[in-house]
Amino acid sequence: MEPLTTDMILVMAMIGLAVFLFVVEWVRVDVVAILMMVILPLLHLVTPKEAFVGMSSNAVISIIAVIIIGAGLDRTGIINKLVKPVMALAGKSSSRIIIAISLTVAGISSFMQNIGAAALFLPAIQRISKMQKIPLSRLLMPVGFSAILGGTITLVGCSPLILLNDLLAPFNLKPFGLFDVTPIGLALVASGVACFILFGRFILPQGESEEGTGDDHGADHNIAYSDQGEMYELTTPEDFTHYRDPVTILDLRQRYLCNIVAMTEPPDFKTVSPAPETALHSGIEIVVHGRKEDVDRMAAAEGMTVKDRLETYQFELDTSKSGLVEAVVAPRSSLIGKTLPEVNFQDRFRVSPLSIFRQDETYRAEMRDIRFKAGDVIRLFGTWKRLKTLQQEGGLLFSIPTDTEYMRPEKAIWACIWLVVALVMIMAFNIQLSVSLMTGALGMILTRVLTVDEAYQSVDWRTIFLLAGLIPLGIATEKTGAAAWIAHSVLSLIGTVSPIVLLSVIGVLSTLFTLVISNVGATVLLVPLVVNMAIAAHADPRMAALVVGLATSNSFVLPTHQVNALYMGPGRYRTFDFLKAGSLVSIVFLVVMIAMISLIYGV
Amino acid sequence: MAIITISRGSYSMGVIVAEKVAQRLGYAVISRDLLLDASDRFHIPEFKLIRAIHDAPGILERFSHNKQAYLAYIRAALTERASSDNVVYHGLAGHILLKNIEGVLKVRITADMSYRVAREMKREGISEKEARSILEKDDQQRRKWTKNLHGADPWDSNLYDLVIRIDRFKADDAVDFICQAAESQAFRTTEESLEKIRDMALACRVKAELVDEFHNIGVTCHFGNVVVYTKDKSRGAKLHKQIEAVRTTVGGIYNLEIHSAAGFPPDAV
Repeated sequence: MEPLTTDMILVMAMIGLAVFLFVVEWVRVDVVAILMMVILPLLHLVTPKEAFVGMSSNAVISIIAVIIIGAGLDRTGIINKLVKPVMALAGKSSSRIIIAISLTVAGISSFMQNIGAAALFLPAIQRISKMQKIPLSRLLMPVGFSAILGGTITLVGCSPLILLNDLLAPFNLKPFGLFDVTPIGLALVASGVACFILFGRFILPQGESEEGTGDDHGADHNIAYSDQGEMYELTTPEDFTHYRDPVTILDLRQRYLCNIVAMTEPPDFKTVSPAPETALHSGIEIVVHGRKEDVDRMAAAEGMTVKDRLETYQFELDTSKSGLVEAVVAPRSSLIGKTLPEVNFQDRFRVSPLSIFRQDETYRAEMRDIRFKAGDVIRLFGTWKRLKTLQQEGGLLFSIPTDTEYMRPEKAIWACIWLVVALVMIMAFNIQLSVSLMTGALGMILTRVLTVDEAYQSVDWRTIFLLAGLIPLGIATEKTGAAAWIAHSVLSLIGTVSPIVLLSVIGVLSTLFTLVISNVGATVLLVPLVVNMAIAAHADPRMAALVVGLATSNSFVLPTHQVNALYMGPGRYRTFDFLKAGSLVSIVFLVVMIAMISLIYGV
Repeated sequence: MAIITISRGSYSMGVIVAEKVAQRLGYAVISRDLLLDASDRFHIPEFKLIRAIHDAPGILERFSHNKQAYLAYIRAALTERASSDNVVYHGLAGHILLKNIEGVLKVRITADMSYRVAREMKREGISEKEARSILEKDDQQRRKWTKNLHGADPWDSNLYDLVIRIDRFKADDAVDFICQAAESQAFRTTEESLEKIRDMALACRVKAELVDEFHNIGVTCHFGNVVVYTKDKSRGAKLHKQIEAVRTTVGGIYNLEIHSAAGFPPDAV
């Protein structure tokens, strides 16, 4: 075994720094990666060329191409078209519906980014939940897990697998083919779905399937009676404005937590979703959304009369014209990090935000101070017309009754053709993954499935930099011999073990790492390590690397994976729910993975 | 209602002035009995409360949660009294306990050091050196205190609305000035200021109920709608349960929410 050199210690210090920064989250993960890209050449642990080789690596190019292809398919609305036939096939049984959607999402996720597939399907699932009266909490977690598991079906399904061949290159090991992992991936998806079908009762929160409203899902701590509020029509008294300063909608909101969603300006001009700064007049009708006790309190204090039902606004607020939606903040939304007043939300979209829901808390008070995060759920009221405009803006995911394709269905054929071309190039002609996928992406741009600017916009730089930045860390780990050193130390600690045990241990390690330092980070750090370990232990190094590539997708126990974080809000899940379901699925994952690997590759 | 707080360098006739003002305006006087009140209600031995409010926090204290808790209790007792009566408070750290409340007339009674030393010598019958050292130590404590919590020197006149040199003016003059100020426009009780005091009392009360178990929380109350801010997500379920209990014990709360994702707003208790 080589002696410990300064370079090795430096590399290990850098690894430690990266892991530490990932955990404490003082800076974002991609910034940590850029930090690595810069520090490593400065410390002479890699050459400057090596430091940036990640940017041109096959992994990064493949990911860019995959994202563009995914965006192209999304644009044509082809994916949403799948929902109907799938639902027809599934019928009415909730188990069959869960299986059908999960398998569909897994399939899409096998060649699209997991988070992209998850975000894409969210509105459709909300719709299905309402129509079939299945509680959203029973649907979302299985689908979310399937999106993650679907990424293990092909080599382009998730970032760790895309990275794998690049990480194996320094060792001169044979790269994996696109569908080499497919049998294992399919088994994983099947077992994951089976877990939910068979044990769903025990591991999923049961959630209430409230008849009629369909808006309430699961326990909600902040509101004692699961009472989200109703619509009431009121009249202001004739002396409402006498002897006092103007009372605005915002004032009433802050005082009574009642939202005015429609108001008459004298003499009879009706407005829906009036601006918060609007002052109320005497003797007018208003429609308010709020809890009964708050509305009654406001009426008593302000001298308003509560009517039995909507009279004046019966027509304008009919469900064919307007309604409530629960909008989820998407992962790359422009709302993230901002508050409602900062983005001028109500002025721009003229819809009424009623409450915000995050993880397991509902915010009705001080809503204007909340800074949004991905996965937050905003309850909105507005006319369908305005909600549609909001939907088209992007950044908020929700479904409305009049969802029609505004996209480009005529390009659907071309999108499919180019996808097939890329696959054929990979499979039949054995052309490099990155080249084939980029050809597909280019084809989509040339045939106007999406414009080149739309293609650029769809690329998520965070993922690119994360990958590109951590690759040199892997290179440095191998180049300085630190990987070999650590591998040997670990092996001398644990002694000789059978290959299966070794692979299982690697699987568990990968699972633990991915929960704290993201799947890409875990892959880049562990692959050089485990390859060295495998070589030293006379096991198959390619298998060891494969285990890492797969097991870093085993991120179910905590909602740290982007997909779980996104689904947590709308599904009203708590961390404990993930612990329950995730533990079972994680264990099953490891068992099935090791079993399949030994079956197929005869380890 | 109206609150006048009189802060004083020790032994500078602050008590006499406070009592006379209270008598003239018909207000209640609160000082040490406030601590008794808080001690009764929250079942903490009085000497602990005195120590919390008198001794400056040491280095290690920053990690002790007790002081925060005791402050919360005292503040709750004070704001509750203040929301129903007109009061003159001349206890310790009034300007800190009543931070963030509008319409509080903050008075400081001060005097030249030699004047104070002379009075102290006469009162306690001790030598000049002893008297001076006692006074200096006391001032030192209070300075440390205010600096720690307020970031400001208690001798900084910006903390007060009115500063009176009691060695230059007579006590009765001081009383005149204070009463006049109290009746001026800025400090008169309005519907709005009343509501704000009531909200403050509610927020303090809620915090006092929770602070024992949950050390790092901030509470705001607007129009009877209470929001509890916390940074600690791990004990969320327990906090929720406790909140429900608080809701029933503390009356007058229209709405109660927990926000664990946002930072504390500046007006949080």
